[in-house]
Amino acid sequence: MSFEPISPSSAGRAGKIALLVLPFLAGFLCMLLSFVPFSRIFGVEVAPAFGLIAVYYWAVQRPDVFPPYGVFAIGLFYDLLSAGPLGLWALVYLIIYGVVVSQRQLMIGRTFSLFWLGFLVSSVIAGFLGWVLASLYFGQVLSPGPVLVQMAATVALFPLFAKLFEQLLQRLLVQG
Amino acid sequence: MVTLAAALLLLGRAETYVVDRARQVVTDLAAPLLELASRPVSAARRVVESTDQYAYVFDENERLREENARLLAWKEAALKLEAKVARFEALLNVQVDPSIGYVTGRVVGDSGGPFVETLIANVGSNQGVESGQAVIDSDGLIGRIVATGPEASRILLLTDLNSRVPVVVEPSQIRAVLAGDNSFWPRLEFLPAIAPISVGDRVVTSGDGGLLPPGLPIGTLVEADDGFLRVQTFSDRSRLDMIRVLQYEFPREIDAQDAPAVLQPVASEVQGETPSASTPSAAPAAEGGT
Repeated sequence: MSFEPISPSSAGRAGKIALLVLPFLAGFLCMLLSFVPFSRIFGVEVAPAFGLIAVYYWAVQRPDVFPPYGVFAIGLFYDLLSAGPLGLWALVYLIIYGVVVSQRQLMIGRTFSLFWLGFLVSSVIAGFLGWVLASLYFGQVLSPGPVLVQMAATVALFPLFAKLFEQLLQRLLVQG
Repeated sequence: MVTLAAALLLLGRAETYVVDRARQVVTDLAAPLLELASRPVSAARRVVESTDQYAYVFDENERLREENARLLAWKEAALKLEAKVARFEALLNVQVDPSIGYVTGRVVGDSGGPFVETLIANVGSNQGVESGQAVIDSDGLIGRIVATGPEASRILLLTDLNSRVPVVVEPSQIRAVLAGDNSFWPRLEFLPAIAPISVGDRVVTSGDGGLLPPGLPIGTLVEADDGFLRVQTFSDRSRLDMIRVLQYEFPREIDAQDAPAVLQPVASEVQGETPSASTPSAAPAAEGGT
């Protein structure tokens, strides 16, 4: 192994930057995807929480390239765009992120179904937390139906997005 | 970071101007992206719908024939009624409602979250959209504008927790408030204890409060399991695409009567005189009024 130069080559630096920016960008686009009116095609009312998939995936695989402030930003933009309680999903995503990062040793290198099961647990916690916080915020018990539908749809779509993120991660690692 | 989010949650509860502004700016910035993304969605929906149509074309044809026969009878009745109404209006010198201008736009963004029922439309203040204006689609009222930016605006749906719309139940003309609670069917509130209404009655806007034009169709009454009277809206929330924002202006330009100038002399000389035969001192005011 040769000595690394003190200042990395420009390609290496670009790879580093890409490794920091692209996961966040992917998460951000996922968050925006929640607002695309897919319901028109299928008649399903609640958009899946694509942002949560991104948060969970990167928290397990590479929390070092997806820092907490990225999670916070995605949650915050989600709140701003959905016109719901400001900070609600930012808080929920951060809590999920913290829990998942602390438990990631359980899931690393195991089978995909365990990874998926972990996401199921995370989204149940996220949905429950979100529901409790929103109920407190609005001062009344909200119907849990929509959030259940949302989380079920999100869990069902998880493998698809996990595969996409995996592709992205591999590309980045090869580059970096 | 967690405390910051929690603090924001508390701060946002106060609904400050900064929060509203931030929401609007973000919505405005995201609207072009969302519009781009919603195009293929609309195209896909058209494909799905057209295949649906091919599948049911015979049934549909049969149904339409029946409906056509029924509607011809209705047309006859409507023409008769129209003539009658025109005659009555002429007799009574009725002021016909001013025609309402509108802006047509597309829904580009879903609410995204499970606790809010709002949509993002691609028309904003540059097109003359203002907060409070009613939004309809081809079937009836869907909600109203709650925030506008230059190029995008947010629609609060009738089903949202914060939506309250004054309505009239036809044909009994009972007034009530239609309150959303995030379920598919908004609830009728403030009904009189004994109201001669029944399931299937039509619900339209009453125009009370002057914000929404009166008479916009909303839906029909249904009875829910929880005993509340709810409304099944005519418009299908999951199929909203093209929408129309109504630029209704409440008729405020009613000539104010010059009360003090008229009252003073009439009060002093009100001895069985008819109001039309006004006293000399009140004449200028009366002239101004006619």
